[in-house]
Amino acid sequence: MDKLFIPRGVQRTSLPKFLLWLLPWTGLFAVGIYAIYLCLAEGLFHTNMDNRFAFGIWIFMDLTVIALGAGAFFTGFLLYILRKKELSAVINSAVVIGLICYSGAVLVLMVDVGQPLRAWFTFWHPNTHSMLTEVTFCLTCYLVVLLIEYIPIVLKNRKLRQIPKFLVFEFELHKLMPVFAAVGAFLSFFHQGSLGGLFGVLRGRPFAFREELGIWPSTFFLFVFSAAAAGPSFIMLTTLLVEKLTRKRLVRSSIYQFLGKLSGSMLIGYVLLKSIDTLIWINSTSPGNGFPAFEFYETQSFGTWILFSEIVLFGLFPALILLSSRLRMNRVLLFGSAFLVCCGIMLNRFVMTIQTLALPTLPFDEFLTYAPSWEEVAAFLFVVAYGVILYSLTYRYTTIFPQERELALGRNEEHGELSAAQSTDDGSRQNSFSAKTVNRTIS
Amino acid sequence: MIPWVYEFHWTAFHIIFLTVFGTVGLIVATTMLMVFNRSKTAKQTGRVEAIQWHSDFHDLPSGMRTCRHEFSGDVQHRTCNNEFRCESCSVHLAFVSMKGEPVSPLLLQNNVLGFSMPHDRYYHRGHAWVKKDPDGNCLVGLDDFGTRLVGTIESMELPEIGKKIHLNGIGWTIHTLGVKLRILSPLEGEVIAHGTEKDRWLMKIRPSDPQNATVHLLRETEIRPWIMREMERLQFSFATSGAGITLADGGELIPDFHKHFPNADWDGVLGQMFLEA
Repeated sequence: MDKLFIPRGVQRTSLPKFLLWLLPWTGLFAVGIYAIYLCLAEGLFHTNMDNRFAFGIWIFMDLTVIALGAGAFFTGFLLYILRKKELSAVINSAVVIGLICYSGAVLVLMVDVGQPLRAWFTFWHPNTHSMLTEVTFCLTCYLVVLLIEYIPIVLKNRKLRQIPKFLVFEFELHKLMPVFAAVGAFLSFFHQGSLGGLFGVLRGRPFAFREELGIWPSTFFLFVFSAAAAGPSFIMLTTLLVEKLTRKRLVRSSIYQFLGKLSGSMLIGYVLLKSIDTLIWINSTSPGNGFPAFEFYETQSFGTWILFSEIVLFGLFPALILLSSRLRMNRVLLFGSAFLVCCGIMLNRFVMTIQTLALPTLPFDEFLTYAPSWEEVAAFLFVVAYGVILYSLTYRYTTIFPQERELALGRNEEHGELSAAQSTDDGSRQNSFSAKTVNRTIS
Repeated sequence: MIPWVYEFHWTAFHIIFLTVFGTVGLIVATTMLMVFNRSKTAKQTGRVEAIQWHSDFHDLPSGMRTCRHEFSGDVQHRTCNNEFRCESCSVHLAFVSMKGEPVSPLLLQNNVLGFSMPHDRYYHRGHAWVKKDPDGNCLVGLDDFGTRLVGTIESMELPEIGKKIHLNGIGWTIHTLGVKLRILSPLEGEVIAHGTEKDRWLMKIRPSDPQNATVHLLRETEIRPWIMREMERLQFSFATSGAGITLADGGELIPDFHKHFPNADWDGVLGQMFLEA
């Protein structure tokens, strides 16, 4: 029924099956809307957050999805600025994921703040002493950039591109995409960093407080590095998930290899910096503030196993696998490592948001626990459902994976790899087989 | 944060912060304005067809962009990245300069896998043929492969006499099997006559550049391998368009084969075969 809107040369499931797939997600979406309505209309007492736990599951989720969505800016930067052409195979998917993550995060922030009608206050009367101001400005601007980057993907739809106005607009917009990629990279660098810096400047929370490097605490740089490491891994995992669900090959295995290597390279840098930072914190920063660092790990829930997991299990271990070309060839190890990287970023954001606030800092403080209310969980799941629905619709009606059509044709893998490596994204394609080669053959 | 608004101070930090975000906003807004302006200019200067072909070609899988020198056996594998514009392709020109011996007429057959593909014509990848007329103009029609693909044509729209058509732009439009199909123009030039059914050609074109008018078109020994690839493509396009798996039997394409694929997505099949993205 809707086949005229489906891209040519690819197969999609029937419309009834597709609608059936969307049904449970729509249900989850509706429950989330109701929970959000309760929080906005009746107040934040529907949540289990209080003065002590001002950052609950929502901020944890925000920080996590923003880190996982970093694949959009990092992939765009590598493709359009550093001309890593291989990434054109996943750039659309990265943009969709980025858009879902950032719009979801902004939406949940809006609920968390609880006064959406006064959202403009943050721009008109910002607190210039807060890193959150920088985050707010960067997040908003970057969301606008992501929406602009999403437009060409939609306009590439088989029916929409038949309208000359849309065709020409998409073409011209695509030509100027490097500008948006550069702006996106700039904004992402600062808001990813400032989200980390936010915790590093908490003098009253010695578990998170860090010394400054220049004008930023070290957590600023750790957040940037960790997001850049997790982004490519999350793209790998989502692509694999879509491949499994649709039972199709969507990208060549060399693309996974490239993303794995990229993620591994960033991750090893992050592990190195994180280790140095932790050693400085244990030996200098924390004792300097009157807190022996290992006291923070004496509570049963948050033992040193968390630190070990963060740096070794979810950091060094997957980084070494992803950096080894031999181990990367093993799909279980490749995707297993990508999964560990994503778990690592979640754990890190959990530590920064929940553990930081849970640990007592004053002598009369007690270790407090927090469990999210159903409204908080429903709002969290709302973002998941919204993401699945938007991704599913985009996948069905547009070309998220340009290599899908080629792989559906069953072309020779070696030839395909060759041409993919030789193609650039902007249409100015190059073939290594040049006139020079022909002339050499003649002579 | 905005000057003259409560809590704004003329300090270095406020000014830097405002300048940075102002610059970002300005860059985004200016770029979008440029996009709108360039889109408008492209439409006004009649570049829509060129953009459509550029966009379509870019989206074609590499298997549909096979270089003609792969057909002729000059190279084992090569993908065209020049929008099939051989006249501006350095590799093609280098190959042409090394060709010496003319092809023996014995090697050339008009019947290619059951399709009538006369060798006195040149063929465009979009299944239009071109034949040079003694008066220097060119005759244009739909090749046998394309004719069988479209089946019984419901209606056809040819460009008006006197209209200039662009290479790889819209040559003419066909309505068939409920699909509006554009056939790519194999030449750049002016339409000077329409053919009749008896003529077996559709248009007579006065080429803009008579000397190089047919450089990019397939010919002679390139035709058979190209048609073989097209048959292969046809099978794959059926497989991805709801008709299920088809197997090659080595035979010829039967007339009215459409009737045997009632569930096929004809817009998808024909679009793919006539190089629409």
